[in-house]
Amino acid sequence: MRFAFTEEQRAFGRAVADVLARSCPPEVVRQARADPGVRAGPVWRSVADLGLIGLMVPEEHGGIGGDEILAVTAYEQTGRAALPCPIVETAAVAPVLLTALPDVAQAWLPRIAAGEAVVAVRSPLSPYVLDADVADLLLICEDGTVRATPPGLVELTPQPAVDPARRLFTVKAHDAKRLPRAASPAATAVIGRAVLVGAVLTAAQLLGAGRRLLDDAVAYAGKRRQFGEPVGSFQAVKHRLADALMALEFAAPLVHRAAWTLARWRGAPGEPLTARRDASAAKVAAGEAAGRAARAALQVHGAIGYTSELDLQLWLTRVWSLRAAWGDEAYHRSVLRTALLDGDAPPRPERVP
Amino acid sequence: MDLEFTAEECQFRAEVREWLAANMPPSPLPSMNTAEGFERHREWERLLAGARLSAVSWPERYGGRGATLIQWLIFEEEYWAAGAPGRVSQNGIFLLAPTLLANGTQEQKDRFLPRIARADDVWAQAWSEPEAGSDLASLRATATPDGAGWRLSGQKTWSSRAAHADWCFGLFRSDPAAPRHKGLTYVLVPLDADGISVRPIAQLDGHPGFAEIFFDDVYVPPGQVLGEPGQGWELAMVTASSERGITLRSPGRFMAAADRLLALASASCRDEAMRAQAVRAWLDADAYRLYAFAAAARLDGGEALGAQASLMKVFWSELDLRLHELALDLLGPRAELAPGAPDAAGEGSWLDGFIFALAGPIYAGTNEIQRTIIAERVLGLPRPGRVRR
Repeated sequence: MRFAFTEEQRAFGRAVADVLARSCPPEVVRQARADPGVRAGPVWRSVADLGLIGLMVPEEHGGIGGDEILAVTAYEQTGRAALPCPIVETAAVAPVLLTALPDVAQAWLPRIAAGEAVVAVRSPLSPYVLDADVADLLLICEDGTVRATPPGLVELTPQPAVDPARRLFTVKAHDAKRLPRAASPAATAVIGRAVLVGAVLTAAQLLGAGRRLLDDAVAYAGKRRQFGEPVGSFQAVKHRLADALMALEFAAPLVHRAAWTLARWRGAPGEPLTARRDASAAKVAAGEAAGRAARAALQVHGAIGYTSELDLQLWLTRVWSLRAAWGDEAYHRSVLRTALLDGDAPPRPERVP
Repeated sequence: MDLEFTAEECQFRAEVREWLAANMPPSPLPSMNTAEGFERHREWERLLAGARLSAVSWPERYGGRGATLIQWLIFEEEYWAAGAPGRVSQNGIFLLAPTLLANGTQEQKDRFLPRIARADDVWAQAWSEPEAGSDLASLRATATPDGAGWRLSGQKTWSSRAAHADWCFGLFRSDPAAPRHKGLTYVLVPLDADGISVRPIAQLDGHPGFAEIFFDDVYVPPGQVLGEPGQGWELAMVTASSERGITLRSPGRFMAAADRLLALASASCRDEAMRAQAVRAWLDADAYRLYAFAAAARLDGGEALGAQASLMKVFWSELDLRLHELALDLLGPRAELAPGAPDAAGEGSWLDGFIFALAGPIYAGTNEIQRTIIAERVLGLPRPGRVRR
């Protein structure tokens, strides 16, 4: 038992953080809100060059063949930078879904790995598809099937979201019969895993966004003076921020454990007993922690935090959006209730926490 | 990263589980806060010690078995899952011993540690005073030089089980002229020494779990000073971080309570909101378990826990309270029955556990103090300008 990242894994996270500090400062996120072209532009290129988009594509298709443990440190950084790109969908979920469509995989995985294709996904959990308008490929999960389509064959209806950097769409296929599809028990298992991967890496992004919000709040509280003191010296402010930190600190191990569960069971038949429980635990805890950090950060900034002048809103809106993505709270809580109260599986298998 | 237990770790778990199954007392022991219960718990500690299970992570020469941190966490998981008796030796094993191991002389380690492991000496903590609780550094009890040794005078209070314990470890002001945190000395004193009197204090559960200790010119030889005179505060902080972090309250205790809570919710509850709360609390216990494994890896890598111990303390103490409050909610009318009532049946211990959990946010440094430590030392928020430091 050794619950720690290797130095190599930590170094990768730091490398991603460094690149994003240069290629994805708040100005780029602001730009992405106004300009639809930013999402697949230079910032996408910067994470592709880093190997992040090909990270989880198998080596034989031009990727790095990395696992969810390696990914989780990197995805936390994408949340911290509020990366305005469909990285979860393209780089993490699509490689899983495409295992149900080998011919499509053959054609598309190398392009995905090279950062030359953007993928949008409609998961079984939500009708809202992120960045469908700039996608080169759309993967639709429905009724236990995976269908692949070029965007030209579907009608997109924009669904403006609270975070303007996330462009959402509902999707209607003009002629579903023409689309390549996979419908088999194998497709159900593939969709199941894809949902878990989406949830866990979104949870990682929530952790990163939450930490960024907390850091901003601490910095502000150290500078802003009222009554002759920095407001961060007042106990009420301190205690609220301490609670925000605590929530993030204790959500992180659940996210990391879920990444380990997914990585450990890669390629093995069936689903590990605790996979759904672990993924939902990660998403619920990270969502709550990020939400608490958002609330605390806004409160500590006071009225100025409520304006769109500060960069704070870029992260506030990102957190609110991500909490509803890849399984909202109600969905994941219901998975947890089933796993822990109604299931046959023991809550704690012997060999593995 | 590997979250699977090794074969060796699984084997250790199996050994502990078997031993507990074979040796558990047939029925719950009386409260360790009573005279009879205290001695029954001491006997239990002796049984553990006979199997080298009372302090598994200590070196063998002191009565342990050199277990790793992970193995110690596994031991605790099995211990609490089995419903084994509370640890009457906890102050000695989990609070004093880490400080002894880090800062004691070889003679002190040889003298005190084996006796702690065997419960030959059960220890009380003599820190708090009527005027020095959260502001421990303002303590007034004195240690005055007497030849090579010291004379102790003053009053300590809120000392758990001091009315029954054999020795106490205490903080005394040895240099009144020095700044508050610098003039303190960490002293080890037998509670039957001349000049000591102990007055029990009843707690919320009706038992004399607390006591006041009065020191009237009590002589202490030099060998019973831990570390150097004036070094008391530093050593106390080693003790404090053990208390707050994983040593005193390992995840095993809360995992066992969370599992029992789930069983209760599963069996008795139709209310979706309450079921959801029980699930969420179980998840927090799981998070604490994982956090402890991660902390163990960091400690094994040579890092210190530092102010993270404060994060852990707030988290486990409020989790414990939440688990017990939820259980009482789930028990309905039975929630107000005392443990011995016929209808309390197997669930009576929830009330005892609730009353004990209420103390969690208070001892080992109140959660208000902990949150301030977290804010200032982990987050780096500024100290208040106008408060005396």
